[in-house]
Amino acid sequence: MMRRLLLPAFLAAPLLGGFTPAQAEDTLSPLHFQSQNLLGGYDIAALQRGFLVYQTVCASCHSASALHYRDLQALGFSAEQAGGIAASVKLANGQPATLNDRFRNPHMTGTAFGGAVPPDLSNIAAERPQGPRYIYHLLTGYEAAPSGTVLMSGHFYDAAFPGGQIAMPPPLKGNDVAYADGVTASAPQEAEDVSAFLAWAAAPNLNTRREIGVRAVLFLIFLSILAIATKRRIWRETV
Amino acid sequence: MEVEAQKTWSDRGWPDASAWRARVETPSLPREQPYLDTLPALIIGTLLVLAASGLVLAVYYDPWHPYASIQFIRLEVSSGWLIQSFHETGTTMLFGAVFLVLFRGIMFRSYRGRGEFVWLGTVALFCVLLLAGWLGYCLSGGAVAGVSLTQAASSVETWTGLPGLLAGWFFGGPHGPGTLARLVMFHAVLGLAVFALVALLYAARKAARPVTPRPVAFHPYYTAQYFVAFTIFALIFALFTFFAPHFGENPLNMLPAGPMIIPTNPTPLWFLAPLSAVRVLLPGDAGGVIAVLAMLGLLFALPWLDRFSGPPRQPGLLYKILVVVLALDVIALGLAAACRPSLTAVILQIVFALWYFFHFLVLTPLVTALEAK
Repeated sequence: MMRRLLLPAFLAAPLLGGFTPAQAEDTLSPLHFQSQNLLGGYDIAALQRGFLVYQTVCASCHSASALHYRDLQALGFSAEQAGGIAASVKLANGQPATLNDRFRNPHMTGTAFGGAVPPDLSNIAAERPQGPRYIYHLLTGYEAAPSGTVLMSGHFYDAAFPGGQIAMPPPLKGNDVAYADGVTASAPQEAEDVSAFLAWAAAPNLNTRREIGVRAVLFLIFLSILAIATKRRIWRETV
Repeated sequence: MEVEAQKTWSDRGWPDASAWRARVETPSLPREQPYLDTLPALIIGTLLVLAASGLVLAVYYDPWHPYASIQFIRLEVSSGWLIQSFHETGTTMLFGAVFLVLFRGIMFRSYRGRGEFVWLGTVALFCVLLLAGWLGYCLSGGAVAGVSLTQAASSVETWTGLPGLLAGWFFGGPHGPGTLARLVMFHAVLGLAVFALVALLYAARKAARPVTPRPVAFHPYYTAQYFVAFTIFALIFALFTFFAPHFGENPLNMLPAGPMIIPTNPTPLWFLAPLSAVRVLLPGDAGGVIAVLAMLGLLFALPWLDRFSGPPRQPGLLYKILVVVLALDVIALGLAAACRPSLTAVILQIVFALWYFFHFLVLTPLVTALEAK
């Protein structure tokens, strides 16, 4: 009896353990993000690569002011490593950043990109429908404008951007960074990794939420069965 | 002295304890009550969860920076994301339970006879909860909620006299500084006032309970039944909290509210959607308010719209089918309000809204009068 009740728990165990990062998994063909599945978690390796792309490319123009450098420890960096990353960033007052500082705000003025202000990226994956997927397609969607399109000055054609005309120059050219884990830094790979990183930035508690969720649901299913059995037994004794 | 020694520790210190124990162990309840009769207790439980999680949210919430403070609660307050999830899911579960109670009330005509007062109290509770729910939604600081608040506040601006004065105090104008700071207070006060209504309802329900021939005691029979209902309810609650915390909310509400951000399709929260759809029936802002008030007013008037005047008995098949159609109609109203704005969506909203009024004003008196014969 006990074994039968525990069976669902054993079946779900691989799901619970599914949060360990899968090394060098091909997530590009077809494009998918582990965290977008119902029970999926983040791929830590992809998050670390994505942070590298963010820090090298995006951070020069975009802020992400809801994030602190200490939050990087959730990506598998040790406190020393995160402190080192922070120390390499010069804040506006000329001091190196510490773990408790927010991500540096580059304070880009609108004049730099023809009136377009780079948006804050801390919650961007939640603020756009199908966030990570949209970011990936935006970053890889630059192409020559179709004939008949008149581009505004300082704008670029991007098929994924609403209206097609975006003020952000193509940010990823491939090999913008050198990945420590040997993954080839092609432009689509970088776009995929940085999308995964921004998905994490918007919902850093997703892994915990789903871990607690699976446990809570299994426990409550067990408790419900127990409660129903108890209730039936008690009511059988009524005269 | 003998008697005094027999009393337990809790009886001596708190004489009500033994009276309370005697009450739950005295057979007074009918047998084999359906599980859905536990809904009022589950509603009270959900209200307690909402009050407790709301207190945590309230102490970290900053109405002057609503979006940033929600981000702060989600990211930096210990388990703040969980508390926020509980509050959001609590609302979903609360309205799910209240809609089910209203549906059962109409289906089994429990508003008749001694149940009249319970019904009126339930509808009043529903109205207060709708207002409190909408206020809480506005506090999220999201773009869609912001549009809803601006629309509501600017539509009452032309009001004069006492309504205008009240609306002015309530909102302080659409772009008045600190509108949300006022709404926080109203949200909290209404949230607590709900408990007073619940206490009244509890007393009314007790008074409306019929005398049963072979009663059973609350404990252990109904404690076991309530425990089952509680675990199943908690299971659904957990599924929503951990796997769909933003159920029924427009994804665009994740954007911060601001004058430069206008969502193309500002659909309402799921439990407000049927009310929002009814607004299309009458022209203008005032017409929308009147349509919504009429929709809720019909629920209050239901005991008098029912023309059946005999001894209580099971409602007929035709009436039951019509009530199911009404439930589907209300769901369809909500779905039509959640569609992209188009001519078809507006026509559907008008059709479904007209059916709602047709059901209460024509079908209910007609069918109940027929069945009385």
